[in-house]
Amino acid sequence: MKLYFKLFALVLFAGYLSSCENFVGGDINADPNNPIAVPVSAQLPAIQIAMVDLTGGAFSRFNCMLTQQVEGVARQWSSFNQYTGLTPNRFDAAWDNTYENVLNELQTAKANSMADGNNHTLAVCYVMEAYTLMQATDVWDDIPYSEAFKGIEVTSPQYDSQADIYGVINSRLNDAISLFAGPQGPVGPASGDVLYGGDITAWTNAATAIRARAKLHFKDYSGAASDAAAFSSSADNLAFNYPDANAAGQWFRFNRDRTGDLEFHPTMRALMNSTQDTNRLNVMDQTFITDHPYLVADFNQELVTYREMQFIIAEASARGANDQAGYDAYMNGIKASFTRLGLGDAEFNEYITQTGVDPGVGNLTLEGVMTQKYVAMFLQPETYSDWRRTGFPAITPTSGNAVPVRWDYSSGEYLFNASSPAEGSVNVFTDKVGWNQ
Amino acid sequence: MKKLSLVLLTILFAVGATMAQKSVSGVVTDVSGEPLIGANVVVKGTTTGTSTDIDGSWALSIPNDATVLTFTYIGYSSKDVDISTFSSMNAINVSLSEGEILEEVVVTALGVERSEKALGYAIQEVDADDLVRSGATNAVDALVGKASGIQVTRSSGSVGGGSRILVRGVTSMVGNNQPLIVIDGVRTNNETLLSQASTAGTAASNRLMDLNPEDIESMNVLKGAAATALYGTAGSTGVILITTKKGSSKKDRFAVNFSSSMGFDNITQTVDLQDKYAQGWSGGYDDPSTGSSTSWGPLVSDLEYSTDPSHPNAPAAGAFFADGTYRFDKNGFLVPKGTGNGQAANTYDNVDPFFQTGISNTNSLSVSGGGETATFRLSVSDHRANGIIPNEEYLRKTVKLAAGITPLEGLSINGSINYTKSDYTRVQQGSNTSGLLLGMLRTPATFDNANGFTPEQAVNEVSAYQFPDFRQRNYRGGGGYDNPYWTINNALGFEDVNRTFGNVKADYKVNNWLGFGINVGYDLTSDIRKQEFEINSRTNAGGAVSHDEFNTNQFDNYLTILGGGNLSDDFTLNYLVGANAFSFNNHQQTVDGNGLVFPGFRDISNTTALSAFEVINRFRTLGFYGQVEGGWRNTVYLTVSARQDYDSRLGDPADFQLSNTGFFYPSASLSFAFSELMNTNNGPFSFGKLRLSFAQVGAGPPNPYSTASVYVSPSIGDGWGDNITFPISGNAGFDQSSLLGNPNLTPELSTTLEAGVDLRFFKGRIGLDATVYQRKTVDAILNASLPSSTGYNNVWLNSGEMTSKGIELTVNATPVQSDDFSWNTQVNFTKSSNIVDKLAPGIERLFLAGFNSAGTYLVEGNQYGAIFGGAYLRDNAADWPNLNVPDGNVVINDDPNSPEYGFQAVDPVQRAIGNPNPDFIIGWNNTLSYKRFSLNFLLDWREGGDLWNGTAWALSFFGRSQLTADTREETATPIEGVLSDGSANNIPVTRGQNYWTSSVGGFGAVGEQFVQDGGWIRLRELGLNYRFPAGEILKGGSIGVSGRNLWFKSDYDGIDPETSLTGTGNGQGFDYFNMPSTRSVIIKLSVDF
Repeated sequence: MKLYFKLFALVLFAGYLSSCENFVGGDINADPNNPIAVPVSAQLPAIQIAMVDLTGGAFSRFNCMLTQQVEGVARQWSSFNQYTGLTPNRFDAAWDNTYENVLNELQTAKANSMADGNNHTLAVCYVMEAYTLMQATDVWDDIPYSEAFKGIEVTSPQYDSQADIYGVINSRLNDAISLFAGPQGPVGPASGDVLYGGDITAWTNAATAIRARAKLHFKDYSGAASDAAAFSSSADNLAFNYPDANAAGQWFRFNRDRTGDLEFHPTMRALMNSTQDTNRLNVMDQTFITDHPYLVADFNQELVTYREMQFIIAEASARGANDQAGYDAYMNGIKASFTRLGLGDAEFNEYITQTGVDPGVGNLTLEGVMTQKYVAMFLQPETYSDWRRTGFPAITPTSGNAVPVRWDYSSGEYLFNASSPAEGSVNVFTDKVGWNQ
Repeated sequence: MKKLSLVLLTILFAVGATMAQKSVSGVVTDVSGEPLIGANVVVKGTTTGTSTDIDGSWALSIPNDATVLTFTYIGYSSKDVDISTFSSMNAINVSLSEGEILEEVVVTALGVERSEKALGYAIQEVDADDLVRSGATNAVDALVGKASGIQVTRSSGSVGGGSRILVRGVTSMVGNNQPLIVIDGVRTNNETLLSQASTAGTAASNRLMDLNPEDIESMNVLKGAAATALYGTAGSTGVILITTKKGSSKKDRFAVNFSSSMGFDNITQTVDLQDKYAQGWSGGYDDPSTGSSTSWGPLVSDLEYSTDPSHPNAPAAGAFFADGTYRFDKNGFLVPKGTGNGQAANTYDNVDPFFQTGISNTNSLSVSGGGETATFRLSVSDHRANGIIPNEEYLRKTVKLAAGITPLEGLSINGSINYTKSDYTRVQQGSNTSGLLLGMLRTPATFDNANGFTPEQAVNEVSAYQFPDFRQRNYRGGGGYDNPYWTINNALGFEDVNRTFGNVKADYKVNNWLGFGINVGYDLTSDIRKQEFEINSRTNAGGAVSHDEFNTNQFDNYLTILGGGNLSDDFTLNYLVGANAFSFNNHQQTVDGNGLVFPGFRDISNTTALSAFEVINRFRTLGFYGQVEGGWRNTVYLTVSARQDYDSRLGDPADFQLSNTGFFYPSASLSFAFSELMNTNNGPFSFGKLRLSFAQVGAGPPNPYSTASVYVSPSIGDGWGDNITFPISGNAGFDQSSLLGNPNLTPELSTTLEAGVDLRFFKGRIGLDATVYQRKTVDAILNASLPSSTGYNNVWLNSGEMTSKGIELTVNATPVQSDDFSWNTQVNFTKSSNIVDKLAPGIERLFLAGFNSAGTYLVEGNQYGAIFGGAYLRDNAADWPNLNVPDGNVVINDDPNSPEYGFQAVDPVQRAIGNPNPDFIIGWNNTLSYKRFSLNFLLDWREGGDLWNGTAWALSFFGRSQLTADTREETATPIEGVLSDGSANNIPVTRGQNYWTSSVGGFGAVGEQFVQDGGWIRLRELGLNYRFPAGEILKGGSIGVSGRNLWFKSDYDGIDPETSLTGTGNGQGFDYFNMPSTRSVIIKLSVDF
């Protein structure tokens, strides 16, 4: 009797345990709408568009406000314009997008590409990583990398020096270029590459062009000029074309949703008026609304351009040989800018007759080159590096005695990363980034 | 006496007794002759019995040999009547006198009725009459002030807007904190689902609004962990038990109730705006076509109209129609006085006249009846309400059928089915460019949103808010924010909710020592939403249509075995064991259509870009529980319970182990009715009881799927413009979620100690109930912040610790009671604090909701949900050890080159600038009855509790608030503070445009200057009722008028501080262009047949 009872209880208990397991177990706690693994080709569009959106968004707005291409005139942006509102939390979005949505994603994409032997996809990841790291270290100087992206394992990643970051940038670019020269592996990057559609030559040139930018920052002008030649026309640009108003360019979205916060800057207007740059002004200097003729919904957001490369060649020439090649590059850069703004040969030819525009062969000046580059690079974040490197064009601080020469770190780092510098220890007016010291 | 609880228990199962052989009937009244409703009549020593109906009458079939009937009524002395002495068996009329209120039976967890004396924890019952007469259509609103330990916050005055309720403050750090709502023994869905960001979008309902308050019989608030222990995890935030009305088992008795009410809602108060200065900047006038957002223009009195386009101050050509008339004002554009046509500039009130009187109408009908073996009650209701905002609407229809049968002695089967259809038309609010108040309050005094029409006309007059070319007519020339009249016509949200819920419950009592119960509940909600944005909306310039469909299903099943009785003359024992299986499934499908092809047809077929996604949230829990109550001489009771839970949310799908999902926790409570040991027959003291309890409750993660890391389809952007979502250019995209999963999660555990005392005097005329408690939560599961250099934003961790403490006090008194007049009064006092002791290692704060300049956070060492944001710099900030605002002097910016010279300097560290939790809450509820009239009023006092007045913050930037009109005229004086050398500030400044548009003004880095005391004293309810006398046909009923929220007093400088931008969520304490609240007058007629 007792034994039967025990057996009966045991059977009941076993039955109950297994039904328990069925009831709360299995896939109940597996998210049916979000996968736990995806192929790199499904990740690439998200990483690339996040990268493009970052350049066209936070980096373009802050950098080009500091270089006075645009002016913050309303609400939060009027206090940013005065530098007073540039508290660490204002840089949260840029920092978070850089680390979470681009660099961290690239770590998985790299690992998966490597595991699958997809060398060309790996190289594309290297180029994107180099570009994004450079964009970040150019405003934040020392940043976490070697201990970053480890999630819960390292919750307070150490900050690497800018020299080390540039070391990573250079090795990524060099590795990418040699990987592109080799076999692609089982699957190439064509699927998911929204920037070049898997065109390896274009990627090789882009890697070289990004290296030109790096060399320029470190004053290797001839090296920069030689790499800059990788781009032979605007068709080579590293860029993304936003499709339409439903997935519109950053500036269009900003002008639509934050109308009136940022407008064209009087400094840039005066600079362009001094050379009778009316046609380009007509395109750029319009109210920042959705009807702006340049900042359209299907914006071509450029990351690295042919015209930038031409101005790098021109700058190297102005600093050195001041030769025909440098002069040609200078004129090519201006012309590419006109083309980008939808202006034709007539407007370009009219403009170069204005005083101070065409110096003639052998007469390039650094100020002349940098001024034209500043105009041609309208809303390109790299303008901020150019100004910090050369001091051209001259900018009067909107308040106080100095224009910030770097960005503050994000509030998230100050709050949550014990390895970050102490909050308040960064002086954005005096603490120049490594290559600018 | 001690058998009474046994007798009462018996009655429950004795309704269907079939051994009757003769009929008896009569009436039970009190000593004054008033009928007693619901008094129990039983044949002594048997299970045969019934209860009295609305006239106090009863009828019963009894065995021939029955000799004694026992009459009992809560609060009255019971009476045994020897029926053998009655000549007529149809007129056994009995009057009961008030006795000692000791033997109250209360409904406890799982619907088990227990003697109140045996309870070692606090439970408070709220009577249906108190709920219904409040006039609230949301049962949650009706609870305000009616029980201690609860806090109710209505989110806005929008019809169909939800309310948040907390029992004993918050329990969970990031999970749900609202109590479990249990209707007739099974869990019900009280969720609030949002389609847009919590700080924007439309108001959202809490789903308990689907219950017709007329169907509620009673509500019981189970406050502490010991009271809710049997509910396990789900009950850790408190439980509200709702018992719905059933049919009566009186033979051949049908009761019909019809009630009809009409309500009138009006806006309480709006924001104080200036009408002295015109649109513009730096004292210069800017006309609407310039897009100027601010009211820093010239004095309105210095302006007049002109209609001459060649006037030197005429706006640009685009500001005129082709025929040369000015687009934005029929009077013409504004020019300096003396240069125009001499007609002085108007100012317009765009706010108060906009709001209308909201009218609501509610009709309810119920039919109930039954016999000895079956009962039923059928009710239908219809509620239709127009909001104070034109075009806002809330319609609710309910049908409820409750039925019960007792086919065998000891077996009873009860079930109910409730169907509710709710339709809403909603208006955009809060922090979005289509938000109604946002566009309305920012509009300068010189611009007429109604374009010369009256508000009633403008609602239906397209030319008020739109030009013939479909561009918007608003004060920023088509940019900026939607014209409010545009919003209520072109940016509406529609919601269609179909819901059915109910349960089937079977109880079989074998004998006193063994009974079985099974209760199966279901709750199915379909919520279909459509949000429209016409072309040229300031939120979606291209127009958009968004469809959301939510389906929430929950099933809740209980199997219980229970019994009890006397072990000896001194000892009693009751036990209960059972199992509970619960399953929850929420399925959301969203289709967004963007880019309308042509205006006027807001349908998904007219959009050019579609995106869609699906979200399924599901979890299941399984619980096994037991409880034993031992009693000694009706004096000391000890109850011990235990529960083992399995929660699927703790399961790791990659490596499922049942043991990882299970957790165990116990509770114990002691009740000591010490007055039993005293002689309480004479003297004022009549009853006294001490309570003591200890309980643990475990809880799984607040969300399913927290144990694994996933990839998501990201939305890309940085918060300044709208994000873009995949697919983009035909590409799908995935990235890793910024929230890391954690397969090692364990349940969080809270331990509660509670002590209380229940004292009654003068035979219950005065009662005092006091409770103190402390709850410590450890291993709280939270989404701990990570620096994003780790690659992620958050990770689920068991790391939080929180301590809650509270005092609850309820005083009941009947200071006056005579034949004609009585005064009942109740005071409920609630004080609680929830301190965040610890978050995660290295993490000082955790975001809950809100904005950059001021958000609600969990901050170590602070009250739950502290308002965190920018602060003025204090001179001791550098040495200040924590994130609170330092107590030093405000530092003044004394850099003469700074544009903010003479203003307060900004602390680079964001700080805890406010505490949204009230210091205490008092509800004082009164009923004065004279003959058939009764007057009731409820005063609601909430002391303290900060609100961040984001409306005032933003309006200061725009120069729109009265504050900015006053301060721009003030003579320059130094702001209180110290200079960098520590000396007193001597830099005189005028707080004009430069000040309010700087870092210390609106949209600046500082939020602390607009943190304000959101406390209040308000007349929550005031009602006058007349009860009809019972007659042949009309059996009863009443007519009355009641008011809700008729008056309040608050130091808050804005709309009614009872408001919450984020609705019923955890982040409270924000006002950012919230919808204003309402005061209501309700006239109600109720008749019984």
